[in-house]
Amino acid sequence: MSKQSLGSLLIGMLIGVAVGVYLGWVQFPVEYTNSSMQALAPRYQDEYTVMVSEGFLVDRDINAALQRLAVLGKENTPDYVQDLTERYISQSNFPAIPSMVALSEAMGRLTPLMEVYRLPPAPTPTPFPAQ
Amino acid sequence: MARSPRARNGIRWLALLIGLVLGIGAGLLYTWEIDPVIELNTAPWQLNPAARENYVIAIALSYARNQDLTLAFDRLRAVAPDRNVWQLVADIACERHRSIQIASNSDIIVMRALEQLYRSQGATGCADGQYPTPAPIVFMTPTPTSTPIVPVGPQATKTPTPDLPTPTVPPPVATTPPTSDRFILARVQSFCDAQLDGVIEVRVFDARGQGLRGVPVQISWGGGQREQFYTGLKPGREPGYADFLMERGRSYQVSVPGLVSEPRSIEAIPCEAQRDGQTVTVTTSYWINFQQQAN
Repeated sequence: MSKQSLGSLLIGMLIGVAVGVYLGWVQFPVEYTNSSMQALAPRYQDEYTVMVSEGFLVDRDINAALQRLAVLGKENTPDYVQDLTERYISQSNFPAIPSMVALSEAMGRLTPLMEVYRLPPAPTPTPFPAQ
Repeated sequence: MARSPRARNGIRWLALLIGLVLGIGAGLLYTWEIDPVIELNTAPWQLNPAARENYVIAIALSYARNQDLTLAFDRLRAVAPDRNVWQLVADIACERHRSIQIASNSDIIVMRALEQLYRSQGATGCADGQYPTPAPIVFMTPTPTSTPIVPVGPQATKTPTPDLPTPTVPPPVATTPPTSDRFILARVQSFCDAQLDGVIEVRVFDARGQGLRGVPVQISWGGGQREQFYTGLKPGREPGYADFLMERGRSYQVSVPGLVSEPRSIEAIPCEAQRDGQTVTVTTSYWINFQQQAN
């Protein structure tokens, strides 16, 4: 191969790589359609956690809530719930706070910051007096 | 010396082209396989089926708590932008029912939450009515029974009655969950069906998503004309169902007593539907759902 041909090939390859990288990263990036919850965008992960906390207020089943949150793949779920709750409190995200505080409390993570947002405890059935 | 036409300006075009193709191939191999865009901002619609199910369950549980239908719809739309979201919920409930994923009280609550969400919007599935909400317990006040008449014997002498404290009657216990007389307009959706020519299908649900029979539905149209009909009178249809046939070209408003939402006008406009492989023009039909608000 002559020097001229080799030079042309190299120039072509350089331009081609640049075009290929642009196409692959910018114009037509890989689009995932079979993703896990762990890959969910942070704002959706937060929203999912709030929904789970509202579900916890419906069924009061902390194990079910922990199972539902486990799919997010956080290293320490109670830590994550506590951080998110405190973040919502600091951002005054009022609609999400009561349920998140209830979930944090059920996980044993009720911090002084959360105290004022505690919901009144759910009524418990009164046992019948022994006859 | 004369130059070759393929080597004008010192460039060999064939070699350049080959280089370009090889370069693009290498670039795409690198960006799609070796170092693809890192998956960070996945939206709910990109989730795999199991994760999508988890997400929808969380939406249903959240709706069971806050009863915010618009919010639930927006969230479901993010999961399935290209399909009927209510049917998606019904399908997930059906799948869970079929695969017997119901092992705990929480699972039953999930099924009820899913059903409450999709049935209020007119979707149906194989889990319909499989996990009914238990009826509220009603404490009946015992009715006094008649005391048998004892034959009268010798007249008893009157014993002085000791002073006893007057027994206090405990206040009655509210046993049924409070429901309001307020309704919201939960759904207005047009559809075009060759078999239904301009029909308004009205469904009225209580706060738990159960159809309400006997609710008066008022419909008004141009020139101050109005008509009233009741839910639950159509044989073979669900309790909260009623329908009305529109005249093409008119504009209608449908309402129920206690409606707190703004009533929406619907137009009986023509639309095209398929019948026996042929396109026919019929009048647009509508699904309109009302839902009672919980107190």
